[in-house]
Amino acid sequence: MSVQETKISLRKIEFPACAKEALSRISQLICRRGPSLSQMDLALDLMAEFVFCEIDKRGNKLPPLNPIKELQLLDILFEYFNGNIKEVFKNTVFLSLFSGTTATLRSRILSKLISIAIGVPSKSVLISASALMQQVGDSSMNYNKLAEAIVKDYFVLIPNATQRLSGLPDFPVPRSLLETVVLWVTANSKLCIAAQQNPSPRSLLETVVLWVTANSKLCIAAQQNPSALPSGTIVMESTTSIAGLLKWCILAPIYKQDSELYANLHLGLLNNILDIPQGYQPKAINHVHLAVPIRYIYKYAASLVRKKDEAEKNRCLLEDVNLQLSLDRYAQAVQVALSTNCVYGNVGELLNQLSQLPQNKLWSIVIAANQPNK
Amino acid sequence: MISQQTRFRNTTQQDILSDLKVFVDGVTKQVKCNPLDLTKTALSILKSLPAARDAVLSYFCTVFDKASENYVCAIETEVSTGTIPPLSEYDEAIITEIHSVLCSFVTGNAEAWAPIISTWSLELLGEISTKYAGRAHISTGLNETLQLWMNCRATRTLIDITTQCLSCLIHSDTEACINALLDTSVKHSPNFDWVVAHVGSCFPNTVITRVLSCGLKDFCQNKSYEQGCNSPKLKSVVCILGHLASSHCGDIGTALLHLFNSSLIVDNAQDNDAIRLQKKATIPFLLHLSNLSSTLLSTICTSIYHTIPLEVILQLYNFIDDWCKYFGSSEALQDLLVNLILKCEKGASQIISLLLDCIFLEDVSSTDEVQNQIIKMNARDVLEFVLQEIDFSIRNNLSQHHGILNSLMNEIDDIHVILLNPKMVKSQTAAKIIIFIGHNNPAVLIKSAKFLFQHARTDHHLALLVRILSDELIDKALQPYHNKGGYFAAVLDQIFNEYIQELAVLNNNEDEDFSQMWYNLLILLRWEKSNKVQMLRSQIITRALQQNLITFTAIFAKSRLDNKTLHTFAEILEILNIPTYNNGHSYSPPLQVVINFTIGIVNYFFVCCEERDEIIRLKGYNCTVEILKRLCAHSNIARILALRELVEIALFSNCNVLFGAHIKRQVPHEHNDKLLLKQNKKLSKTIPLTKHSSVYNGGIIGTGKRKSICFHSLAVDNIANNTTHLIRTIKACCLGPPDSEKETEVLQDNIIQVSLLLVQYISPDVMYNGLPWPEEEFSKVTIERDLFIRRLFSSTPLLWELMSLVAVHRPALCYCSVIIRALTATLMHQWSSMGDQSKSMNTESYKSLMETTVKVIEVMSLGQLLPPPLSGIRDVISYFNSFEIVAILRDCIWSYMRDHIPSPALFTTDSNGLHWRDPTIARPSEIYTNTLRIIMQRNIKTVGHLYAQMFINIPKDELIMQRNIKTVGHLYAQMFINIPKDE
Repeated sequence: MSVQETKISLRKIEFPACAKEALSRISQLICRRGPSLSQMDLALDLMAEFVFCEIDKRGNKLPPLNPIKELQLLDILFEYFNGNIKEVFKNTVFLSLFSGTTATLRSRILSKLISIAIGVPSKSVLISASALMQQVGDSSMNYNKLAEAIVKDYFVLIPNATQRLSGLPDFPVPRSLLETVVLWVTANSKLCIAAQQNPSPRSLLETVVLWVTANSKLCIAAQQNPSALPSGTIVMESTTSIAGLLKWCILAPIYKQDSELYANLHLGLLNNILDIPQGYQPKAINHVHLAVPIRYIYKYAASLVRKKDEAEKNRCLLEDVNLQLSLDRYAQAVQVALSTNCVYGNVGELLNQLSQLPQNKLWSIVIAANQPNK
Repeated sequence: MISQQTRFRNTTQQDILSDLKVFVDGVTKQVKCNPLDLTKTALSILKSLPAARDAVLSYFCTVFDKASENYVCAIETEVSTGTIPPLSEYDEAIITEIHSVLCSFVTGNAEAWAPIISTWSLELLGEISTKYAGRAHISTGLNETLQLWMNCRATRTLIDITTQCLSCLIHSDTEACINALLDTSVKHSPNFDWVVAHVGSCFPNTVITRVLSCGLKDFCQNKSYEQGCNSPKLKSVVCILGHLASSHCGDIGTALLHLFNSSLIVDNAQDNDAIRLQKKATIPFLLHLSNLSSTLLSTICTSIYHTIPLEVILQLYNFIDDWCKYFGSSEALQDLLVNLILKCEKGASQIISLLLDCIFLEDVSSTDEVQNQIIKMNARDVLEFVLQEIDFSIRNNLSQHHGILNSLMNEIDDIHVILLNPKMVKSQTAAKIIIFIGHNNPAVLIKSAKFLFQHARTDHHLALLVRILSDELIDKALQPYHNKGGYFAAVLDQIFNEYIQELAVLNNNEDEDFSQMWYNLLILLRWEKSNKVQMLRSQIITRALQQNLITFTAIFAKSRLDNKTLHTFAEILEILNIPTYNNGHSYSPPLQVVINFTIGIVNYFFVCCEERDEIIRLKGYNCTVEILKRLCAHSNIARILALRELVEIALFSNCNVLFGAHIKRQVPHEHNDKLLLKQNKKLSKTIPLTKHSSVYNGGIIGTGKRKSICFHSLAVDNIANNTTHLIRTIKACCLGPPDSEKETEVLQDNIIQVSLLLVQYISPDVMYNGLPWPEEEFSKVTIERDLFIRRLFSSTPLLWELMSLVAVHRPALCYCSVIIRALTATLMHQWSSMGDQSKSMNTESYKSLMETTVKVIEVMSLGQLLPPPLSGIRDVISYFNSFEIVAILRDCIWSYMRDHIPSPALFTTDSNGLHWRDPTIARPSEIYTNTLRIIMQRNIKTVGHLYAQMFINIPKDELIMQRNIKTVGHLYAQMFINIPKDE
């Protein structure tokens, strides 16, 4: 069937049905070994015209779908991804639907898809989604939006989502959710922590603590079970959420968050790090990620000692309970991470940076124990 | 366990997915299903899958839209057929369901859900209002629209949801809320206005401010006034504000004020061009708003005087060029201003006073001559136009400018203040305004006239009053005022009554000084009587006073006015000339007036006596005499009352001091509570007593030794003066009717009244007051009364004067027979008890006794009760011993009087009506004169010259004629009795 014929035949079908038909065509086109470029192009055209209705038959841009149609599309997508197809194919289609140049345009639908997938919950969609995340990487802006939308849906709009989400630690849901959540938290850590009165982040925190303590392998799950990807793709190394979560509980005291949950989270994370299997090449924690909190601690310490003389400065820093707690947590985390040998990158540089931190008893021990010159 | 859980999970998973499917199919009409069920499904999806909220809410849009359409159609059917089709039950149920769920979202988690839901509901409301605009209702007025939509279940629910969302957000995220509201409003204006208005009334402050600034921004876009007038956005701003004004007037006022004030602050550093433009356009914008809505106009004008003080006007001067450009010409701006002023229903008085202040700008600011001049000119023009317009509309009976008139009427108090302003322009403007109002509203006219009358301090003020009352615009023939003596009569009526009430309540009028008011009345009356004031020719003042004479005289008579006011009163009453007999204007006062007036004027007489200032006192006396003459001639009652009052007060009230009465000054009785026992105990300590001594102090009996009585008396001159005037006044009361022969004559009947009054007052008894003198023995019976009368005479010297007055006008003294009898009786007793003490002739008691005796005989001779030679006794009596005096009093006077009853019958009336007792005919027989003659002969050494006069040098012809009286009686009368008066 030629390109035009395919399109013409599809144009004879009304919207929701045509999307369904288009999806099956698309999967036929790309789920094969080494699809040709023209096939790929056709698949992308079909997506734009028949699945997402972004352009009309002459290639003119159309306004975004109205919510009802969007929902219909989501329904179709669900049907497709829950269908009886191999996981690799699903992931392939998912990746081509939501990545690349059109990712920004479709991010709204993607976030809704994932959100509904969490709500339903739909395992196959979530598996595909985590594959996508792993491939696209956490620095993308779209990703941030996605995280934000999901946090909003499940922690802001539905305050009691914790109960619903808590019972599923072994399910793919928390994994992908955790990743998105951590992403969001890393991006908005200050916002999240500072908004003390806001009950929603608390429910978020509760959920995270629950997951981390219930499943000590959760944080490195992405690295443990790599997604099934289409052949020929360059598999991206996925990062773990350990460093991000560590930052969260290390910085909590200096933002005056004294909830018991942070301590629990800290403990859970330490257990997680201890459970990282040894012997491999260390790949769980990047030294750059681990060094992130230093900046915030400096800033806080500087604000403490402003307009004070030298002698008083030291005393002041030592006596500040929040700062010391934060430093203690940090030191514990670094020590555990180093001892389990899961930090990769320039460890010497990291230690150098860490030695600049305000005075702390535990830190001095940790630094001394890990001096590289021994 | 795990498998169970999984199964459960799977079932929920299936549920949610199938729900989603059902919903999608239902919404896209692929499967027909019950809308209520569909709604329930949608709600459950909304609860479990927040990501699907957009779709769910857009489905709800169609639900609400359908419900609104049903409602509108139902109304249209009702309008066309008159029957109401039944409303869909589904709509009700569905909407209720949605409402409760959405509300639970909003209340449960406001910060998260409220922005989503409020945006949705506002947008939906906008769409619905636009879609059904112009259907089902004829009027496009905002209130009708509001009414219409609030009756619709769907829109009412939406509005409720919206306000709930906004009320959750209004504090945390005001800006976003209002922006959403206004964005929708702009999009769907003007059909959406009712929503803004309704929401606005829930959050007045924020909405009003934002709506205003939104309107201003839009207004700035227009280059000229005409464009501005037609802007649809401005109309909706006005509509919204107009709706809110009814209940949030204060907030709107504050917002407008804020807008105005911020436009004044020009900060070149911070303002960008757009803001500068906005600031320039603010006042034209406000003017325009006021032009479009009378409520806003009222709100702006309510406190305009404080909003725009003169300093601000000077500041505004810099903007004027821009405004003129904007409005096309300065005339156009002026026209708009004049129109606005004419329309304003509140604060008109403030505008007027602001304009007046501008006219006198140089008093306040002297910065820039040219600028001041321009402002002054313009202010004057505007004021002039406004007044002209009102004048025109009143004269032509147009009802268009009643806004400003109503406003002025409500703020009449402020106008009153201007009325008293020393600046002619200001006060005359105020007067003009009052005339305008008074044209249709006599009550206000009267109120203003009353205010002016009460507060007038200068002639100018009174001239204004006259002008107001006599202006051509005032309908003077309006009933019931015309019949009651005109408007001024009503003014006086109110004033007098209030005055009386105030007196009744307060009893002292220290707080307010009324004297100026009374003086004003006097001045007005003087003007009227001078006949020089054209406007007063109709005698409004006199008529008004005559109308209120009862209260006026009541105040005069009963309240304790100060002297100055009393003089004013007296002068007013004198000028008023009551009763009036002028042809055409004759006026006869009612009885009450006469009584009040008489009492008042009598009181006034005594006030005059106390007056220090000679001229005023004399003026007062004359005034009293004139008034009493007129009054007493007019009415007998007045005369009787006046005489009685005069006599009584002069004799018995505290005023009697003025006429030389002796008053016993009561020495306050110090009551000693000291017990005798205690006093004795004290004494026994100080006086060393022997053991068995029992000497006691007996204490003081009563108040101790009688204190010598000290008399309080005035200077003799004053007493004499007062007495003279009292007599004059009494005489004035007794004069004959004016314009007759007897005008200056004291009428006999009247003077008899005086003598009867004297008897009534002096004699304590009701018995034995008859004319005849009984046997001398009988005086023992009446001794007590006689002594009382005697004491009265000695303590009240005025009585002698009164007796003399009565004696002069014969035969009135006859009626005082009892008094003279009493005096004579006491004299006889006293002289006889005097014994031989006559040698010590210089004692005080002798002197006074002799004096009294002489006075009594003098009065009797004056009244011709004692004919010669008995009348001569007073000249000789001082030479005699006491027993001789007793003999004379008993044998000559008493016996004569006993035998010749002192009655008017003794007197004959001559042709002039004068009563006269012929001394030759009435010559007493020798029985009565012998004693006297013998005593005189015995004392011939001292009384020789008098003896000859009394007994020997009796005119010869008189004797001869007496002897032949039978034959020449008629001639005798001619020669001796009918002596012409002047002789």
